[in-house]
Amino acid sequence: MSTLDWLVLLITLAGIVSYGVLRGRGQQSMEGYFLSNKSLPWYIILLSIMGTQASAITFLSAPGQAYTDGMRFVQYYFGLPLAMVVLCVTFVPIFHRLKVYTAYEFLEQRFDLKTRTFTSFLFLLQRGLSTGISIYAPSIILSSLLGWNIYWTNIFMGGLLIIYTVSGGTKAVAYTQKQQFFIIFAGMFLAGYMLVKLLPGDVSLGDALHISGKLGRLNVIVTDFNWQDKYNIWSGLIGGFFLALSYFGTDQSQVGRYLAARSVAQSRIGLLMNGMVKVPMQFLIMLIGALLLVFYQFYEAPVLFNKAQLQQVYASPYKQELQQVQQHYDQLAERKKAEVQQMTDALHRGNQSDIKQAQQILLSSQQQSEDLRRQAQKIIRKADPAADTNDTNYIFLYFVLNNLPKGLIGLLIAVIFLAAWGSIAAALNSLSSTTIVDFYQRLGRKKASDIHYLKVSRWCTLFWGVFSILVAQFASKMGSLIEAVNILGSLFYGTILGIFLVAFYFKRITGTPAFWAALLAEAGVIIVYLLQIVSFLWLNVIGCGLVILLAHMIQPFQKKIIPLPADHFTD
Amino acid sequence: MKKAASHDEKHLGGAQSWTRWYLLVIGWLAVLIILFYLFTKYFS
Repeated sequence: MSTLDWLVLLITLAGIVSYGVLRGRGQQSMEGYFLSNKSLPWYIILLSIMGTQASAITFLSAPGQAYTDGMRFVQYYFGLPLAMVVLCVTFVPIFHRLKVYTAYEFLEQRFDLKTRTFTSFLFLLQRGLSTGISIYAPSIILSSLLGWNIYWTNIFMGGLLIIYTVSGGTKAVAYTQKQQFFIIFAGMFLAGYMLVKLLPGDVSLGDALHISGKLGRLNVIVTDFNWQDKYNIWSGLIGGFFLALSYFGTDQSQVGRYLAARSVAQSRIGLLMNGMVKVPMQFLIMLIGALLLVFYQFYEAPVLFNKAQLQQVYASPYKQELQQVQQHYDQLAERKKAEVQQMTDALHRGNQSDIKQAQQILLSSQQQSEDLRRQAQKIIRKADPAADTNDTNYIFLYFVLNNLPKGLIGLLIAVIFLAAWGSIAAALNSLSSTTIVDFYQRLGRKKASDIHYLKVSRWCTLFWGVFSILVAQFASKMGSLIEAVNILGSLFYGTILGIFLVAFYFKRITGTPAFWAALLAEAGVIIVYLLQIVSFLWLNVIGCGLVILLAHMIQPFQKKIIPLPADHFTD
Repeated sequence: MKKAASHDEKHLGGAQSWTRWYLLVIGWLAVLIILFYLFTKYFS
C-alpha cells in the first residue's frame, strides 16, 4: 500500500473512532447505555440494523460468490421483507410494551426463568464465538493479501472499535454505523465505477452484462426445487424467512438496535425500510462480482486468488505441479481474450447465431478454466491437507489491490474495517446487555444504583471485546473454525425462534413444556444436521417446527394449565 | 421525547395505516422478484 493509501485508511478509522466517542458522551444510566434512552429516529435504526447485518465478509464474499456461482445468492434475502412484516406485527409492539432491555427478558415474563436463562445462554455461546470469527475472517484475508501480521491485524480489527463501544454504548454504535454506511457505499460505488471504466474501450456496461449473462452469472432467479440446493427461490423465500425472523426477532444484536427507537412506529419504519432496501442493495453488491468475471475474461487472473497459499505451494515439493497448472491457465486466458472479443463483436452486430456460437465457445473455455482452478486447489490440499482452498472471499480484494488507483485502495481497505466494526460493535453491545440484564442483574446483584450498573456494563463490554479478540487469535490456528461457528448459528436459530413463536402465538403452552420441547428440538436439529439430509437453511425451519410440535405434545402431560388472559401479549 | 413518540403514534400508529405499509413491502418484494426474473431471462 502507498503512503496515500495509509493516510486515507488511518484518517478514516481515526475519524470514526473520534466521532463515536463524541456522539456517545454523557451516558448516565443503563437505559442510556443499552437503549440510548429510547431516542433514536427510524433512519438511524435502519442504518444500524443494516450495519449490524452487513459484516466485512458480506462485502468481500458476495462479489466473490457472484464471480464463482452467479447471482442466485440474492434469493437468500427474499424471505427478509416478509420477516420484517411479521416482526412489526408481533415482536416489536410486545417488546416495546413490556419495556425490556433484551429479547430474552420477555421469555421469563411469558414462561419462566429457566427458559429465559437457557435461551440467553445459547445466544451468548453462539454470538460470543461468532464475534471472534467476525474479527478473524476479514483479518486473515487482509493479512494474506497485504502481508500483514495476522495477530496485529486481529488486534486492530477488533480493538479500536472497543474504545467507542465501551464509552458510548448503543448510541455510539448506532451513530457510527450511520457514518460507516455512507463511507462503505461511497467505496463500493467507486469500485463498481472503476471496474466498468477499466473494461476495454469498446465494451460498454450493457455488453459486459450480456457477456456475464451468457457465462451464466446473472442467474438471479432459479425456480427449480431441490432440498440440497442452497439458493433457489423456494429455499430463499421459506428458509430465508425463518432465518431472518429468528435473526431479527431473537438475536439480541439486532433486537437491541430497534429497541433503541423512540417509539414503536419508529422501530417499525426502520425495519420495514430495511425490508425494502436490503434485496436491491445485495443485488448491486453481487452485480460487481458478476461484472468482475467479465473483467477477468479480458485481463489475466491468477489461477487462485489467495496469494499467500500459492506462495506456500511454490515453496514446497509441489511447486512444479502448480507451475504446470498455472502455465495451462495462462495459455487458456490468452485464448479466452480472443473469444470474449469475438463475443463482443457478435453482440455489436446483433447476429443471434453468431452470439450463440461465441457463447458456446466461451462457456467451454470457462469450464476448462474452472477445471484448472480445481486442479490447483487439489495441489494445495496435497501440500497442506488442512488448507481451506476456497478463495471466494479473496477475489474482490485482489481486484481492488491490483487494479484501483492509489487512495482508493486505502478507502476500500477502510471499508472492510468499517463494515467489520459495524457488526462487531453491535455484537459486543448485545453480549454485554445480555450478560448484565439476563445474568448479572437477574441472578446476581438485583438492586444497585444506575451508576453501578453503568460501570459494570462498560467493564462487561470491554471483557467481551477482549474475549472476541482472543477467539480471533485462537481461530488463526484452526482453519475450520469459521465453518464450525457458521454451522453453530444455523443449529440454534430455529430452536430459539420456535421458543419465541410458541411464546407469542400459543398462549396455552406453559414454561416447562416449552423448555423441554426446545431441548428435544435442538437434539433433533443436530441429528438432521449430522445425517446431512438437507442444506443448512432448512435447519431453521425444522428447529422452529419441532419446538412448536413438541411443545403441543408435552403440554397435556403438565398437571396444571394456567391460561393467560387473551390480551396479555397481543397488540 | 414523549412529544415525538405521541406524534408518531398519532400519524402512523393506526392499524389501517400499518396494513398499507405491510402491503407496500410485500408488493415491492413481488415487483423485485418479477424484475429479477425478467433480468435473468433477458441476459441468459
